[in-house]
Amino acid sequence: MSIFRLGDQRPPAPRQISDDVVMRFDDVYEVAPEKMQVFPQQELPAWDTKRIVDGRWDHLDWMHDHFADAVLSTGLESETMPPEEMPSEETRDG
Amino acid sequence: MSAVAFKSAVDEGVVEELRAIVGDDERVLPNVSSRVNRTRVPAPFPVHRWADHMPDVAVLPRSAEEVSEVVKLANRLRIPVVPRAGGTGLSDGAVPMRGRGGFLVDVKLMNEIHEIDLTDRTVTVGPGINMLKLNEQLRPHGVFYPDDPASYPCSLVGGRIGTGGWSLLGARFGHTRDLVISMQVVLPSGEIADIGEGGGRKLRKSSTGLTLKHLFTGHQGTLGICTEATLDLVPRPEVEFAAFFAFDDYMKAWRTTGSLTKSGLATLAGVVLFDEWKLRYLRRDDEAYIPQPPDVVSVIAVAMYGTRAEVEPASKVIMQLGRSEGGRYLGDEISQGDWASRHDRYATPLHGRTRDGQAVPMSWHCEDAALNYSVLPQVREEWHAIVDRYINEYEVFDDWGMFAYTNGAHRPWADYLVEIDVGIWEQRLDDETWEAWVRCKREIAEVSLKHGGSITACHGATREGDAELVPSEMGSSWEVVKRIKRALDPNNIMNPGKQSMDEAYR
Repeated sequence: MSIFRLGDQRPPAPRQISDDVVMRFDDVYEVAPEKMQVFPQQELPAWDTKRIVDGRWDHLDWMHDHFADAVLSTGLESETMPPEEMPSEETRDG
Repeated sequence: MSAVAFKSAVDEGVVEELRAIVGDDERVLPNVSSRVNRTRVPAPFPVHRWADHMPDVAVLPRSAEEVSEVVKLANRLRIPVVPRAGGTGLSDGAVPMRGRGGFLVDVKLMNEIHEIDLTDRTVTVGPGINMLKLNEQLRPHGVFYPDDPASYPCSLVGGRIGTGGWSLLGARFGHTRDLVISMQVVLPSGEIADIGEGGGRKLRKSSTGLTLKHLFTGHQGTLGICTEATLDLVPRPEVEFAAFFAFDDYMKAWRTTGSLTKSGLATLAGVVLFDEWKLRYLRRDDEAYIPQPPDVVSVIAVAMYGTRAEVEPASKVIMQLGRSEGGRYLGDEISQGDWASRHDRYATPLHGRTRDGQAVPMSWHCEDAALNYSVLPQVREEWHAIVDRYINEYEVFDDWGMFAYTNGAHRPWADYLVEIDVGIWEQRLDDETWEAWVRCKREIAEVSLKHGGSITACHGATREGDAELVPSEMGSSWEVVKRIKRALDPNNIMNPGKQSMDEAYR
């Protein structure tokens, strides 16, 4: 059983990924705050970001299952990115 | 109840007649909120003129007989009728023309499954059923209805038939018109007609009489209202295979697309080619593309469905062809995840950018065309040049890139559904910017005609900027179109004005 602590819900400071994109949690991209001056970025507690990411993976799993009995894999990694830049399983599993 | 301001001949007496037909006050809705919510579709809309497009009253029938009586009433009183199913179209088929009002016939309560026939492989449904919900009911039987538009979670069978829908899996299974075996239609006179191949409700091919099925698929609600449809069922796929390939040059990706689509692999469900502008757009906030290196400027997506015995060996051919011109595989995780996300870009709020890069909410206009493979590179340059000109002149537009998607049912090698996606900041629309948008849209469509294409592969040519080009695209067959419309709808009540069909009455 985990204990909810308000202090844990404050997202970490953003890291700049590109001119337009920042990252607070691994593999969770956000538009850079300086690009959100007309419509300011909504502040999300950590649990809500996790809920959205988990919901996203649930949705993709549902999609695969809805359209076919199984997904055929090649077993191959990306040929455009080094392995450390691939979305991590840790993030996927929450 | 207080009087409502009607634009057409609809008044309180007419509303009472509608209530008498359906026998349920809850299904006759003259109130403002019910009409406002049935006024637009997801395509960019002149929000500053919302009221001009509102119907006078919405009706929600439950049977073909009710639809028939509603249409007879409209015909008697010369009241426009606009059919509407999910209201998810990307043109204005389900939107009343400016200033015309009339009855909006909303079929979403006609959502029953009437029959599942596993012996002759058909399912008969009402027009208000959604494909996702239908497939949930079909799954225990091991069969599948493979009509898969971008709006799969929310569009309805009746709208798919009315608009002549296009499916993301069409190369493998066909598009809506290939999957509808027969249908029941309420004609503009109110008569109920069974339309199919010859006289058989479950026959996929006949040479008796005239083949009317295609006439009643994709007419954009101008020839009648579908009240029942018998659909084809395919075996539920054993496996899905998706592979995405990255390129450092658009022309390499274009040539690879040609190789993939000419492979002759029967399980090929779709091949999509993203251009450089689309990649720049996706790098803004799409987790699959943000981390990609700068030399990824074009991407091809391939999807296959079928039995494992077919798809497994075919996937090896795809992997070979996809890399034949320097394509690099994006990996299983991105390929599978991005393919599973294929419906998600239907709603894209905040993906817009102003000229100085600020994120703003924009709605998504995808100007579609049907074009041959040979002209894709040239059309791409001309379309982007047009949009770029309008972006520089007005602050409300944004170029979200192009894709070309296999368009031929079962024969994917030579023609494509091609879209240029243009963001529009609707909150800033006024008469000047809306007219600019209409001009931009018309210029894009004219390029399609210049290159021997069609101005729409699936969205329909029902709104200004498109509709006025329908006669020139139809050419010598336009006279035939007008005679058919006039013969079936002598009073021009059925979705009047769409596709320039008012010309039939001049």
